[in-house]
Amino acid sequence: MVLRKDLALGPRTPLFLYAIALPVVLTAVFQLAFGSLFQPQPRLAVVDDGSSAITAAVRDMAGIELTVLDSAAELKHAVEANDYDAGLVLPAGFDEAVRSGQKPPLEMYISGESYASNRIILSVTTLDLVRAVEGRTPPVDVKLVQSGNAGLPISIRLVPILVMYALFVAGAFLPASSIVDEKVHGTLTAMLVTPAKLSEILTAKAALGALMAFLMSIVTLLLNNAFGSNWPEVVAVVLLGAVFASLIGLVIGSLAKDGAMLFTIMKSSGILLFGPVIFYIFPEWPQWIARLFPTYWMIDPIWRVAVLGEGVGDVWRSIAIAVGIGCALVLVVARLSLRLRAQMAAAA
Amino acid sequence: MNRRVSRAAIISSIVRKDFTEFSRDQLYVFLSIIGLVFFALTYYLVPDTVDETITLGVHQTGMDALVGQFQSGAATTEGLDLVALDTADHLAAAVAGDLAVYRTSTGDIVVVGAGAEPQAPKGAEKLDLTIGIAFPDRFLRSTAAGEQPTVTVYTDAAVAPEIRSAMASFVREIAYSITGDQLPVSQPAQGTAILGPDRAGDQASLRDKLRPMLAFFVLMIETFALSSLIASEVMNRTVTAVLVTPARVGDFLAAKTIYGTILTSAQALILLLALRTLTTGNWSTLLATVLLGAVMFTGIAMITGSAGKDFIGTLFYNMLFILPLMIPAFSVLFPGTAAGWVKAMPSYPIIDTLNKVTTYGAGWSEVADSLGVALAWVVVFYVCGLLVLRRKVRTL
Repeated sequence: MVLRKDLALGPRTPLFLYAIALPVVLTAVFQLAFGSLFQPQPRLAVVDDGSSAITAAVRDMAGIELTVLDSAAELKHAVEANDYDAGLVLPAGFDEAVRSGQKPPLEMYISGESYASNRIILSVTTLDLVRAVEGRTPPVDVKLVQSGNAGLPISIRLVPILVMYALFVAGAFLPASSIVDEKVHGTLTAMLVTPAKLSEILTAKAALGALMAFLMSIVTLLLNNAFGSNWPEVVAVVLLGAVFASLIGLVIGSLAKDGAMLFTIMKSSGILLFGPVIFYIFPEWPQWIARLFPTYWMIDPIWRVAVLGEGVGDVWRSIAIAVGIGCALVLVVARLSLRLRAQMAAAA
Repeated sequence: MNRRVSRAAIISSIVRKDFTEFSRDQLYVFLSIIGLVFFALTYYLVPDTVDETITLGVHQTGMDALVGQFQSGAATTEGLDLVALDTADHLAAAVAGDLAVYRTSTGDIVVVGAGAEPQAPKGAEKLDLTIGIAFPDRFLRSTAAGEQPTVTVYTDAAVAPEIRSAMASFVREIAYSITGDQLPVSQPAQGTAILGPDRAGDQASLRDKLRPMLAFFVLMIETFALSSLIASEVMNRTVTAVLVTPARVGDFLAAKTIYGTILTSAQALILLLALRTLTTGNWSTLLATVLLGAVMFTGIAMITGSAGKDFIGTLFYNMLFILPLMIPAFSVLFPGTAAGWVKAMPSYPIIDTLNKVTTYGAGWSEVADSLGVALAWVVVFYVCGLLVLRRKVRTL
């Protein structure tokens, strides 16, 4: 009954909208903006008045961000502002002049704020492309020998942050704010006049949070193309994470006496909740630190099963620890609910 | 007996009441301090150096002079760090991660692992070698003779494609220099032009870039606290109780402005001090910027605090303002100028000024324009905030 009431009234609150919109907005922001922040590519601007083969070659090249501009003045202004690491002005007839041995001037500009490594990459690559336009056979063969594996792209390593947001906002914040809201408006006391028990009310709140967290985490994984192929196992670990998040929500909701305190607790506990996901972005950092955060055990099974494609059997240790922490949280909630009941009785 | 009480005394009493209320909530005070500590910790955990160098392993025989020439050129540009290894096998194994490579304080290279040295010398620096070039024996002679020898570039799969491609180009350019093939283009008399201040080797690190962002976040976050206080005063009608005293609506609004500005700017200034950013040279510009930011967010808090019917409603209205205003804060992390629409955001001039002052050491003259625009936005938000809150108070 309580869950039905929350499901009916919940969508009218702004937080529901927030919980639903946030994973989508964050996916767009993180993937579009931060993807390029963590893996910046050298940026080359070109003014090409004669359809040079150099421009076409850079366009086909992996790892260099090419922008074609209209005028040399615009290019110089943009390079000076570090909108591009380097700029190349190729006048009409440049390729023909190179081929005919006229040695045309190479008008290249480097941004003072560009990284030294990018300057080398763009300068050496440009010279090599000019040589290619000349058409002479290089005096050396270059053989590339590759070892190791490339590791996961940043777009995938950002997934734990996005899933954690979905779990936390929908799973923890939603039930916590709902409990606080009921406390502030006195409806919690009113509900206890009915046959509903406090434990049943809290269970209903947790169920709502877990349901929303589960749905939004699945949506987030799908949006980021990280759902994996073994969907029953993914569903199982996401459900576990959603329940874990909702238990955190119950603890916070029981602790906070009003909305301001709820927000302050949320704000301050953010580092503990999001601490572990940073380590997925920087795999070279000592990973044992991430395991110190309780929420690591909530996100790790999702990461390994949904993203890395491992089976539930491979992550049973993480699941066992998550279940253990979850049981401890249930005890904390039980204790806090006793305190809450006493506070309400005193207030009545 | 009636005693006239000055407006200043009334406002001061309301401000004192607000601060007393704030300080009595020990949890809130504790968590505010913890928040500042976490911001400062985040700052100090982020790297303060910028790696703008490609570390390139090189194995060669008989090319010492040529490699020395490139090495000295690399030292000038700071973009390339050449690491000489004795054998091609060592190079391949080091790139594959099977051997570790160290540089001693005297500049000697020591390879550690199976088939090499058993352990690293004391105090030696470990090098991250992910790409290397192995020139074959008699490379100089073969190239000069036009035999087109093969040079192997060993690379880890994680190396970016543009670096792999550039290293192949680099090898070809070395070969061209051996055969004496001139470039098919002429260099301008002044060489390649560097536009803007040359920061090679002196780039702003991520830590530097975080400074303005963190200060801005502290300003922004306090909007939630202030709007919550205003909302609770409105909802609990304590404002009506205050207005029963000689205090007028104007006094109430002035007190909220002072309280919000002091609470917000004090935390931002404490953070800037903790980040060792306030100096004798920039304190006045930073203080002015922080105060402008504090008044702007106080104005926003007045709007959202008046509009929200409960905490969650206030939070939601705050989010509507805060999320778009956060966008310019992230723009400082990216190189280059921000997009036009980002520059048009009200928070942009504040973050732009903080960035110019804290990251690039700008003075009053360089940030006057930004501060002027910021002031205009502050006036807009503050006046709107005052009008909305005054209307709300009068309707109670």
